[in-house]
Amino acid sequence: MIVLKRQLPLAITFIMGVTFALQYYIPHPVSEEAITHLSKWMQIISGFALALGLASLFQVHAVKIKRQVAGWGYSVILYVAMLVTITVGLFWGQGQTKVDGAQTAFGWIYDYTMVPLQATMFSILAFFIASAAYRAFRARSREAAVLLVAAVIVMMGRVPLGQFLVPWSWDVAQWLLNVINSAVRRAILIGVSMGIVALSVKIILGYERSYLGGGKDQ
Amino acid sequence: MISIDRRIIFLLIALATSLPLLHPFGLPIKVSPEVRAVYEYIENLPEGSVFFLSLDFDPSSKPELEPQAMALLRHAFRKNLRVIGMTHWLTGTGLADDIFSKVAKEMAKESGKDYVFLGWSPGTGSLVISMGQDLYKAFPSDHSKKPIEGMPVLAGVRNLRDVTYLISLAAGNPGIEMWYVFGKDKYRFEMAGGSTGVMAPGLYPFLRSGQINGLIGGLQGAAEYETLIGQKGTAVAGMDAQSADHFVIIALVLLCNLFYFVLRGEKGRPGFNA
Amino acid sequence: MPEHLIPTSNLIGGWVAVGLTLFIFSFLYKDNPLFKLGEHLYVGISVGYSVVVVWFEVFIRLVWQELTKGNYEPLIPVMIGLLIWTRFIPKIAWLSRLAFAFVVGFGSGVAIPRVVSSYILKQIEDTVNPLVTMAGGSVSFSLSFANPQSGINTIILLIGVVTVLFYFFFSVEHAGFGYATARAGIYFLMIGFGAAFGYTVMSRMSLLIGRFADLIKFSSSDYGYATLVLLAATIATLVSWELRRRRSGGAE
Repeated sequence: MIVLKRQLPLAITFIMGVTFALQYYIPHPVSEEAITHLSKWMQIISGFALALGLASLFQVHAVKIKRQVAGWGYSVILYVAMLVTITVGLFWGQGQTKVDGAQTAFGWIYDYTMVPLQATMFSILAFFIASAAYRAFRARSREAAVLLVAAVIVMMGRVPLGQFLVPWSWDVAQWLLNVINSAVRRAILIGVSMGIVALSVKIILGYERSYLGGGKDQ
Repeated sequence: MISIDRRIIFLLIALATSLPLLHPFGLPIKVSPEVRAVYEYIENLPEGSVFFLSLDFDPSSKPELEPQAMALLRHAFRKNLRVIGMTHWLTGTGLADDIFSKVAKEMAKESGKDYVFLGWSPGTGSLVISMGQDLYKAFPSDHSKKPIEGMPVLAGVRNLRDVTYLISLAAGNPGIEMWYVFGKDKYRFEMAGGSTGVMAPGLYPFLRSGQINGLIGGLQGAAEYETLIGQKGTAVAGMDAQSADHFVIIALVLLCNLFYFVLRGEKGRPGFNA
Repeated sequence: MPEHLIPTSNLIGGWVAVGLTLFIFSFLYKDNPLFKLGEHLYVGISVGYSVVVVWFEVFIRLVWQELTKGNYEPLIPVMIGLLIWTRFIPKIAWLSRLAFAFVVGFGSGVAIPRVVSSYILKQIEDTVNPLVTMAGGSVSFSLSFANPQSGINTIILLIGVVTVLFYFFFSVEHAGFGYATARAGIYFLMIGFGAAFGYTVMSRMSLLIGRFADLIKFSSSDYGYATLVLLAATIATLVSWELRRRRSGGAE
């Protein structure tokens, strides 16, 4: 049983990892056929994994309602909203927001509730970034001063008013983005990518097992 | 430091945003080389070329990326390119469908004949590989459930190798990097990117190395593209408010530092920390 | 009198959209029941929408429709997917490890060569560009800052990449020449972060501009001045909530 629970998953990871790492370098029709089928399977498996994530959310709020913790009324509202959306989507629109150019009931919910809620949720950050800029963006050191100057030049150079009032700010902003910023991002990208490759190799060789979900027999 | 109630700052931002929207001052938009590169590539594509537009964003990035999408689609339809659309973002499916329907109706283009919207499918990188191997296996039907096999718009298109130009408009991951790593790296189509302002600086290394041949960054990028196609829309309309907002932030930052240095000087503290 | 009539569903939709937008914006005053209502509605509707789309796009389009055409291949990934769902049954939850091993193994395997090629090799290739160009039999070195591919910019880029990479390499002590290199790396990083901050400000402001543009659209007579009416109602609600809260001793 220990072999099934511990060794078999590690063996599967190893075989799949090595096979599909090597597949990239093998243009043989059998190799291409394998990646065609497996990538299609992954689409379907990803759907099941997504459903797992969605089900967890159901569970969290169900527990809140059952235990009647503070704010459980809002969990009821969440559940009602979820169930209404699912019902309308399944029976009025077949999962489509538009049918032959006409908006469905599901599309109405999407356009007039989900879109404004999601868009507004992220747009309030604009206010907080302004407040934070006033409270915290001080040139306490040389490094902070450099950051501040670069930020001001880019903010001026990337809007029409800045380009109009301070014409050189556009050219300097372009240079900062194309040269200095590129250098920094490239270095970070190379470093992070090496980390990704190292982690992938560790997973394939069985040194990294956190994806198996823990437990004594890992 | 003189503290200001943050609600006053919120009010300043609200005024700086709303007043220019109500009374625009209409400053000219300067076009950057990275946006012009995308425009010129599409402009030089022969009629009937296959243009793939992936709208990899959801409503949280709608103000920045919807204008980019609409400007690109108008340009592609004007050039009579065959357009394939899809999205990697589940919650952006309705938005992407809406954008395609709106612009297609405006340009009198027909689904199945001039364009096809494939919708969403899970898998991100695996989905790109699947499309790279066989588009019909990845998407047996389009978003409105019509089988895509035999559609005139997909004549001669078997997989991503048959795509002439691909643009991913991305608000994060999955997005442009994923399209490059799992798509262009093996299937060798030309590609460009459009992104939110937050993501744009991180894409400049790819632009420099030629992995993407152009980059449309944020609302400014969308406004530049609208200017190039000669059809001003919501992006150009929003740039005056953008200018006002930036100058309010710059003023707040300078004010904060002015108070900091004046008060520090009054307290007689030593100079910069090393 | 409006010039053209908006369909009733759009008119109601406009009022609902404005109301929900103002509920979320009410957080700018402070956390309050209107914001909490909007927040929970957002999560509920998003999850509901996701469930519907996953049902139709995965289970119907990719599985059921293929099975009805006589293609039984999707049953293999369905079996693997069902193994993932055994996580909900504690006695057989260990079976989900087999599915995760399959998925993670595939993902790691396909990622390695592609990441090495795209993120590492291609980026290094562009960093070590030639500094001089041959033109008409003579060698030239470009000092143009305006051209990102010029000789001078290539040198600056190379210095930037090396110093930033060195700064993050903590296995070697940053002393002597190493200290100077790391300091140079920090200054490059600060400029990069400054550019990132500038673009982040631009991005967040753009999102706000989008919402305000919609609020302005819904404030017209076509939509019955929805924004103005609901703004007044929201402010009145917040004022009465705040007064009640203070009267009850700020129990919230």
